[in-house]
Amino acid sequence: MTLLRATGLTKRFAARGPLGVKAEFTAVDRVSFDVGPGETLAVVGESGSGKSTTARMIAKLMDPTEGSLEFDGEDVTRAKGAALARFRAGVQVVFQDPFSSLNPRHTVERILTAPLVYQGIAPNGSRRAHAKELMERVGLNPDHSLRYPAQFSGGQAQRIGIARALAVNPKLVICDEAVSALDVSVQAQVIELLRRLQRESGFSFVFIAHDLAVVRQIAHRVAVMSKGRIVELGDTAQVFGDPRDEYTRTLLAAVPRINPEWDRRRRERVQA
Amino acid sequence: MSDLLVVEDLTVTFPTARGPVDVVRSVSFTLGRDETLGIVGESGSGKSMTSLAVMGLLPKGARASGSVRLDGVELLGRPDRELRRLRGDRMSMIFQDPLSSLNPYYTVGLQIEEVYRAHRGGSGKDARKVAIAALQQVGLPDPERRVDYYPHQFSGGQRQRVMIAMALVCSPELLIADEPTTALDVTVQAQILGLLAGLRKDSGMGLVFITHDLAVISSIATRVLVMRQGEQVEYATAEQVFAEPRHDYTRMLLDSIPRIDDPLDEGVTA
Repeated sequence: MTLLRATGLTKRFAARGPLGVKAEFTAVDRVSFDVGPGETLAVVGESGSGKSTTARMIAKLMDPTEGSLEFDGEDVTRAKGAALARFRAGVQVVFQDPFSSLNPRHTVERILTAPLVYQGIAPNGSRRAHAKELMERVGLNPDHSLRYPAQFSGGQAQRIGIARALAVNPKLVICDEAVSALDVSVQAQVIELLRRLQRESGFSFVFIAHDLAVVRQIAHRVAVMSKGRIVELGDTAQVFGDPRDEYTRTLLAAVPRINPEWDRRRRERVQA
Repeated sequence: MSDLLVVEDLTVTFPTARGPVDVVRSVSFTLGRDETLGIVGESGSGKSMTSLAVMGLLPKGARASGSVRLDGVELLGRPDRELRRLRGDRMSMIFQDPLSSLNPYYTVGLQIEEVYRAHRGGSGKDARKVAIAALQQVGLPDPERRVDYYPHQFSGGQRQRVMIAMALVCSPELLIADEPTTALDVTVQAQILGLLAGLRKDSGMGLVFITHDLAVISSIATRVLVMRQGEQVEYATAEQVFAEPRHDYTRMLLDSIPRIDDPLDEGVTA
């Protein structure tokens, strides 16, 4: 079964070549993948690989130049009006910088109930109860529902962003570098939270990231992108344990590692 | 021979509406020639403020107390005019975002030449030769041509190479690198780390490397200072910090980092 299917997604931008000759830049080149219900697909790559453009196309924040997108059995490539609204109710996005994606002048309660207003959905119970329940689900103190984003730390603000994405009970959540800006200790907690929420609610994730070690903790399958193309797509264990593509191998080799000898000694001491 | 850099009881204070706030409290460390000290901490730990205090580059209003000695000479409290003579000559600093440290209106060659001539004088022709040699030293291909490029004509990794060339043009004894690879892709990060380690070894300078990334620290530092909320949590050899950390905070940090080589499904459950 497939929840989301991207087929040959391509995005070309107008660019200017030498001597002002009109040229086209292909940011994403015939990318195809599918995401099953309850599954996490990670899209990894370095800057300029096209991973964020891919994320924007599958979130329908940008139209593809070519290719098609199917969601929940429906072709949504050119969806407008009611069909697009249905899509938006099923697909939500969590962005990298929580502070720039949360309105600083709105209370958490208003932020968390806004998706319901846009979708025309009545909350279970009062708006306040709905906001408080969402805050509890993401590990925030529900008594803080009338505070403003600036009154929260970066990790807490990202939890608000996650709670907002869950407000409409989406089938798919797209995380665009959602944990990249967080400190390591906070990052570990937010990854933990995302895994728990997925277990509880059964939605799918498309997880866009450049940090391979993070991706490995959360993804069931991984697509590695380079220069606009998917160079390798497979199960997490295979891509990390037995990478087939040369570029994937280069990328994995470049990840900085703690001196393995020191790390082993520390862990042995912890266990002893 | 004395230590290259001795920092004792360094405290940095900011005036705020609610009274003075210490963003760095009583930090002490030493750096020998030929050594790399890694300063690691999460956001707000005071790691950047510590390095800015050493360079005499604290934001306006901030006050530093304690002692910072470069080669036995006290730097705290020295007039800016004297510090300016030292910066770029005997001590240099590079930052996370090279694009905001480079002037977009001038070629990189001119900017490197300017640093050199400010400290060493000499003719423009000589300075240009020095700039080309500096770009060569940091592994930029075709330096004779690239010396006339503007910053926007380089990639992110190349720009960081240009910044390193500019920082090293007067062969400083001390280089402070504040998150120099954080904005770079992993493959480029690996190249820059290799370059810095090689240059440090060849020149015998001391390197202070500031980062939030413990794995990066592990690959470059001989000694490590762990900071948290302005305080020094742990200061020891890299081996000791990574293999036998003394403090809970260091242990917690080490436990938080995902390992790319660990077995999958190590039971991370909520």
